Amino acid sequence: MARALLQLDGVEKAFGGVQALKQTDLEVDEGEVVGLIGENGAGKSTLVKLISGVHQPDRGTIYWLGKRLRVMSPHHATQAGIATIHQELAFFGTLSVAENLLMAESWPRTFWGGTDWRALFHEARNRLSHFDLKIDPEKRFDSLSSAEKQEVAIARALSQDARLLILDEPTASLSEQEVSRLFDHLKRLRNARVAIIYVSHRLDELKQLSDRVVVLRDGECVASYRTQETDVNRMVRDMVGRPLEQVYPRGRTTAPGRPVLELEAATRRPLFHDVSFTLRTGEIVGLAGLVGAGRSELARAIFGLYPITSGQMLLFGKGWAPRGADEAVRAGLVYIPEERKRQGLVMDHSVRDAISIGISDRLTRWGIIPPKRELERVQAAMGRYGIRARSPDDPIGTLSGGNQQKTLIARWLDRAPQVIILDEPTRGVDIGAKAEIHRLIDELAQQGKAILLISSDLPEILGMSDRLLVMYDGTVVSELTGERMTQENVLLAASGMSLNTSSPIHQ
Amino acid sequence: MIHGRLDYRHRRRIYFLLAGNLLLLGLIRVLLKEGSSFAEVLRRAGPDVAPVILAGLAMTSVIFVGAIDLSVASIIAVAGSAFGVLVHHDQPPWICYFACLAAAWVLSMWNGYLIRTLKIPAIIVTLAGLPFYRGLALIVADLGIPDFGGNISVYDAAYHQPGKFYAGWILLATIIAALIWEAFGRTPRQWLARGNSEEACRLLGMKPERILQSAFCAAGIFLGFAALIAVTRLQAIEPGRMLVGFELHIVGAVVLGGTNIFGGEGSFGGTILGAFFLYFISQALTYAGASAYFQEAITGAVILAVIGLDCAIHRRQKQLDELA
Repeated sequence: MARALLQLDGVEKAFGGVQALKQTDLEVDEGEVVGLIGENGAGKSTLVKLISGVHQPDRGTIYWLGKRLRVMSPHHATQAGIATIHQELAFFGTLSVAENLLMAESWPRTFWGGTDWRALFHEARNRLSHFDLKIDPEKRFDSLSSAEKQEVAIARALSQDARLLILDEPTASLSEQEVSRLFDHLKRLRNARVAIIYVSHRLDELKQLSDRVVVLRDGECVASYRTQETDVNRMVRDMVGRPLEQVYPRGRTTAPGRPVLELEAATRRPLFHDVSFTLRTGEIVGLAGLVGAGRSELARAIFGLYPITSGQMLLFGKGWAPRGADEAVRAGLVYIPEERKRQGLVMDHSVRDAISIGISDRLTRWGIIPPKRELERVQAAMGRYGIRARSPDDPIGTLSGGNQQKTLIARWLDRAPQVIILDEPTRGVDIGAKAEIHRLIDELAQQGKAILLISSDLPEILGMSDRLLVMYDGTVVSELTGERMTQENVLLAASGMSLNTSSPIHQ
Repeated sequence: MIHGRLDYRHRRRIYFLLAGNLLLLGLIRVLLKEGSSFAEVLRRAGPDVAPVILAGLAMTSVIFVGAIDLSVASIIAVAGSAFGVLVHHDQPPWICYFACLAAAWVLSMWNGYLIRTLKIPAIIVTLAGLPFYRGLALIVADLGIPDFGGNISVYDAAYHQPGKFYAGWILLATIIAALIWEAFGRTPRQWLARGNSEEACRLLGMKPERILQSAFCAAGIFLGFAALIAVTRLQAIEPGRMLVGFELHIVGAVVLGGTNIFGGEGSFGGTILGAFFLYFISQALTYAGASAYFQEAITGAVILAVIGLDCAIHRRQKQLDELA
């Protein structure tokens, strides 16, 4: 019988006037994998931060191995054996991998007191190889891929004999293949009796990995069940508090219309090469592939952030060689980037600013934006796209991920563009907002817009797209339609394996 | 430099500055008129550039942690006032030197303390410090010297030892110590870590406030030596006017040396070479007969040109980095 490792008893936490967590109980046994789910704002991250010592509870008790534990700081939690990998990876980009791994520990010294770099790198190499990671510890951390960064995070978290590992949305920026590598690591840890609290929006992952699922809603723990005894529908119902259809919307009925965007052997090495496809009005074309296959890079070239070096692009039948993004926006082509925090939004701006910046040139009269007109347009957009904020003057940073994403979409869609490129539109977005974004995408296609959808979420891209292009190593290796659009086929093509059932576009 | 800790960007900048410095020295050699000795130019370089390098090391330390100190020149002025007042009252030289070092260190620590506790960005705290400490320097002089008329005379050669005779040696010793510390010390790496991400430090259980304070502590020591050399070279200390605009010259040397002005990356070595580079440019211009007006403008243009060139060459690399 496994014994309780961690026990939370009536834990509460408020920030300002907002009760982030109400009377929460939680129990985690040794070697158990507990999935923690809930919509954004349900209190998952708060709970994680209480256990890991970033915040202290206002009320309630945390027991660790049966004894009362007061985690006053992250350092304290680490010492106790609680390792946490936060959603925003805590790293130092300009330092080496080894320094990142060992920054919080004491460093080996030479006999006259200086840092023994050789020993430091050696130690780092040992820790990495413990997880079968072949990452050079002398490399600058910035230069690692997202998956490698994640793996270094795990290696670091577990380097101090952790008994409990907390992962907050670890797969948000990983491709399917990288996720499965992560799961291999986690399964090995579970076998070594390490308990894991796994926070995720991806329910299929939890189904695979967890022993038990705990559902948080509005700061309360509303349900807890063994993973085997439940199904995804029930989890979703408990998360949102109402039944939610898991099917992807498909209101569009008409066949795709005339071609609006055509690429012929578009190339910009080493980012992508020989990419050809046609995008028609009223259709959603999915662009699948692993992270690093060149999907976003291709999208950015179409949007005019850098030119292609050979091949040809046509927009509305005419040659398309934009000199910059402004030209693309004027021509009716918009790109909604994948990293909304870094590439799309200024977190301190208000919702109003964030939306009106996309349409300000149309609102302006004599160089001045009439506040009333601006507010009307912004409020209309907020209503139409279901952006939930207390007021248009709320800072973007205080909104949930889903609402941030909707704001970003609203910014551009108010211009009525004809071609829309969406890059990972639902990454890190909770399930309710996700469904709304899906409905929005479908509506846009119904209105005759041409949509290029980039997503690493396989069910999403399969469910939403009319056709699928799969990229591998910088080029489109396969186009899937109809019955050939299956998870297996996408995964095979995306990992560069030949497909018998598909028709490769390029030989 | 040890085990590739300095990545290619910084190594490239350091080679570039080394080559640039040698080129400028060659140019000075060519421009030198009959009767002037090149050896003398070299011998004078160390003491002349010492305050800039030492204050540059101070600035580099605080920029590493993601802060900045715009009040360095005013702090040196306060140190100068303290020194001058004690000289005026015939205190023994070692007490005057100590007061100069201590004043700089205390004010630097005070800056760190204010930034840490008020949680106000360093650029604002030290921008306020700039006129405040300048005023403080004048107040100290005014209170300490009965008929203070704007400057404090220091005639006795006994008070000029550090600036006039040992400046080169103090500089050399500090440079060696700083480079060794940078190569083998852990603290500078923690500064860089905080400069990268304060939040990450906190999540790892490090104490970002303490790291910030330690950078201002080290900066205070460097600044103390800079003040000591700057002050003891003068026959007349003018607390209200000495080193006006010095802080931007220093930031220029630091940035030229490849240190990211927003923190998180850079090197002491780069700052040292950057300071020499700016010094040799002004020397070359002097020997070429350019007017002082031109020298100022050209110095600014050179900072922009060097950094601009460096970025232009590697823009493609940067673009690829951003995509990755």
